[in-house]
Amino acid sequence: MRSETGFDPALYDRFPTNEERPPEELKQLEAIWCKPRGWQLLTAVNNNYVGFFYVAAAFLFFLLVGVLALVMRVQLTLPLQGVLPQETYNQFFTMHGTVMMFLFAVPMVEAIGVLLLPQMLAARDLPFPRLSAYAFWAYFVGGLCFFASLFFGLAPDGGWFMYPPYTGMAYSPGINADFWLLGIGFIEISAIAGAIEIIVGVLRTRAPGMTLERMPVYAWAMLVFGVMIVIAFPSVILGTLLLELERAFNWPFFDPTRGGDALLWQHLFWFFGHPEVYIIFLPASGLVSMMVATLARTRLVGHALIVLAFLATGFISFGVWAHHMFTTGMPNLSVGFFSAASMAVSVPAGIQVFSWIATLAIGRPRFNAPTLFLLGGLVTFVIGGLTGVMVAMVPFDWQAHDSYFIVAHLHYVLIGGMVFPMFAGFYYWTPMTSSRPLSERLGKWSFWLTFTGMQLTFMPMHLTGLMGMPRRVYTYLPGREWEVTNVVSTLGAFAMGAGVLVFLIDLARNFRFTTDDDAGNVYGGGTLEWLPTGLYSTRSIPVVKSLEPLWDDPELAENVEAGRYFLPGSATGLRETIVTSPLRAEPQYLQIMPGPSVWPFLAAVMTAGFFILMTIHAYYPSFACGIFAIICVLRWLWDTDRPVGQEVVDVGAGIRLPTYVTGPGSHGWWAMVILLVVIGMIFVMGVFSFLYLYGVQPRFWTKPADLGGLALILPAYGAAGGLALWSRHMLAREATQLWTPGVLFLCGALALAVGIGADIWSWNRSGLSPSASGQGASVYALLSLEAALAFIGLLMAGYLSARNSRGMIVRPRNNSLDLCVLFVAYAAGQGALTAILTRVVGG
Amino acid sequence: MRSWLMLLSGFILWTIHFFALYIAASAFPGQPPSYWLTGLITILCLAGVAFAVMRAKRGDGASGMDRWVRTVALCGLGLSGIAIIWQGLPALIV
Repeated sequence: MRSETGFDPALYDRFPTNEERPPEELKQLEAIWCKPRGWQLLTAVNNNYVGFFYVAAAFLFFLLVGVLALVMRVQLTLPLQGVLPQETYNQFFTMHGTVMMFLFAVPMVEAIGVLLLPQMLAARDLPFPRLSAYAFWAYFVGGLCFFASLFFGLAPDGGWFMYPPYTGMAYSPGINADFWLLGIGFIEISAIAGAIEIIVGVLRTRAPGMTLERMPVYAWAMLVFGVMIVIAFPSVILGTLLLELERAFNWPFFDPTRGGDALLWQHLFWFFGHPEVYIIFLPASGLVSMMVATLARTRLVGHALIVLAFLATGFISFGVWAHHMFTTGMPNLSVGFFSAASMAVSVPAGIQVFSWIATLAIGRPRFNAPTLFLLGGLVTFVIGGLTGVMVAMVPFDWQAHDSYFIVAHLHYVLIGGMVFPMFAGFYYWTPMTSSRPLSERLGKWSFWLTFTGMQLTFMPMHLTGLMGMPRRVYTYLPGREWEVTNVVSTLGAFAMGAGVLVFLIDLARNFRFTTDDDAGNVYGGGTLEWLPTGLYSTRSIPVVKSLEPLWDDPELAENVEAGRYFLPGSATGLRETIVTSPLRAEPQYLQIMPGPSVWPFLAAVMTAGFFILMTIHAYYPSFACGIFAIICVLRWLWDTDRPVGQEVVDVGAGIRLPTYVTGPGSHGWWAMVILLVVIGMIFVMGVFSFLYLYGVQPRFWTKPADLGGLALILPAYGAAGGLALWSRHMLAREATQLWTPGVLFLCGALALAVGIGADIWSWNRSGLSPSASGQGASVYALLSLEAALAFIGLLMAGYLSARNSRGMIVRPRNNSLDLCVLFVAYAAGQGALTAILTRVVGG
Repeated sequence: MRSWLMLLSGFILWTIHFFALYIAASAFPGQPPSYWLTGLITILCLAGVAFAVMRAKRGDGASGMDRWVRTVALCGLGLSGIAIIWQGLPALIV
């Protein structure tokens, strides 16, 4: 067998070990990974707790906006109903869509990942537990505040996609739209934090021997999901920033009378918005692929093909965004390309569906609650997929666009593709986190009510739409023959609600959260999450030799529990996990993990406060929250990146691993590179906006700033990158005294500030203001992005200086310095590109 | 990195093809160059697929994970080849 890292795979043969483990080893492990109690729950960072909180919070939002949907259905049952006034109805449907997409669907699939992945990969925890805690609390606190806007009549009312000009200041002068734009800011941060955690977790913390070939299909789904978030979310981050800049400072990105274009928003939004559907669907598909094999009591048919389908979906879904814009008058050829891609994306979905059908066909499925939900999801998703292919055809889309046909289509896709699999997952994995499984009897009642209700609600909507009823109307006139289908839809909605209520009763009766006394492997799953676990995940980390290790090695659970594999105790007396290589999962080093801390919680509360207070124009408290949030983040980071006394430790069977690694092999490096990809994508979308506005509104463009300004700007950026890299180089030199690496880095960060300062000064001198035209707005948006990076670079310089003064920048290599250098070098490159690009286009 | 590149080669080529077509159609809306460029880009990307298939086929003797990666990569290249042709068809019929 080939090796990826120099690790000898023959060493795996030493496991399971034979010798008895010392009795105090397990006690020490339990003490290190002890349970939080009372107020300590706010400081918990362990994935069992954070994952559970996350799932519960996402489900709470599902219930809250589900109730909104029922009220809307009552309003629409018959013509000219007066249950909801027009303005309130607008807020209801906007909140329903926004919360379902941003506060329920994406967080829920991320939450399930946080809960399941470490167990499935047999890692002690995800690699950045405090980041998980931060992501959860920012989402939860901010989400509650966002939802509460409804009670004050301040909820957004422009639809979940918030199209300008309707959401511009001219038509939405209140702060309702700002609640959407700033309110989901923290959700975007939270989603990206979670994605970084999941990508690094899947690639670097798999159990030894779990090669790509043996990686659970759910882990594949979550890997693609994470990458898709990293690519897609920057687009909506930029879009929301631009629209908020237009609303707050009159920068006309979307105002066609001043060189902007309202369609730019649609491009930015849907470049995120359509992949978002697959971001929600893929993890659910991963769950289904895991469950279907166990429930059919056979192996998954076409494992490799399903992985292929995930990868294909991940790519092709980025080529379909403009199918939401077929009616906007795009060039015919472009429309043809997007139509073709929209049909093509059904191929990987079809691969998955046929694999599941084949697995069920050759297996011996029992029709228990999770199987029913799974089958119900399959049927519903296929119907939604077929109507999706219908609306991918341009002539049909022109007829059905903005009608209830589309409402029916998207609910079939999302409920069939995500909600039913989620319920199946609840029934299937509850025994992993609860001391009692959920009830089969109540589960079946819940399924039949929700499934029947779903079909009754949304099947007639196809007809309602084809009969001409538009979306987003709060009422309609009698005599259009829409009454019958609307009455049926409302009855169906309440049947669905009853199904969810039965599920809640089941939860109340049977769900008892536990971390160490779970009901066990009720359905006979073959993957590692069904090993006996505590807060430390598995007692020892097994060597993985197949896709379903528990099916192929009946003694695995006993050997793992007896500590006969990797890391049977704590090698350093701290929380730790094994970091493995990305392809073949060969052990590389022992990661020391941070423990409970209040700082991620406080940072999250302050982050949410920053956004929410800014929305209600409480600027000083908002900035105070922002500053406190930064302080809290720095304080939480202060505890990290501290090498321990033992440089190399025994991780079992005499295999020794280092406890501190720097450079491209470290998990921190991977996280920083992913973060830079996020920033890079924001920049790319900013460049797209700049070029797009130039392309559609060239007559508004004036002569750009003088090219001569580059004579100062480019050397400054060159110095920034060079000095930062030099500081890393000099750290390895023990004798360096005068130009310490910290000073060099500080000079690099200052050079970055000089570069962006000179660029802004140069544009100011050119006479172009950001509110003058689309050109001004887009140029200053790019400059603002660079200024934000320079600000972070200066913060990093201060942080490194503080660590240096306490002797925490260890030689010859140090992760904190490495990551800051990477950031500043990237920022310098982006700054140089910004300066050149904005000067060569236009005029 | 080479394994990832091989695994994703088909889809990377599809992505290049799609965005190149989008840029060409946007740069020359409704004009003949957008159609010629579509044909040219499609042929180049199909050549890329053929090249990647030949590279992947070289590892016929691989075993374990390498063989798995190669199999998925070849399936992906096949799928991408079809998708690229499909994606280029609008230039013939629109």
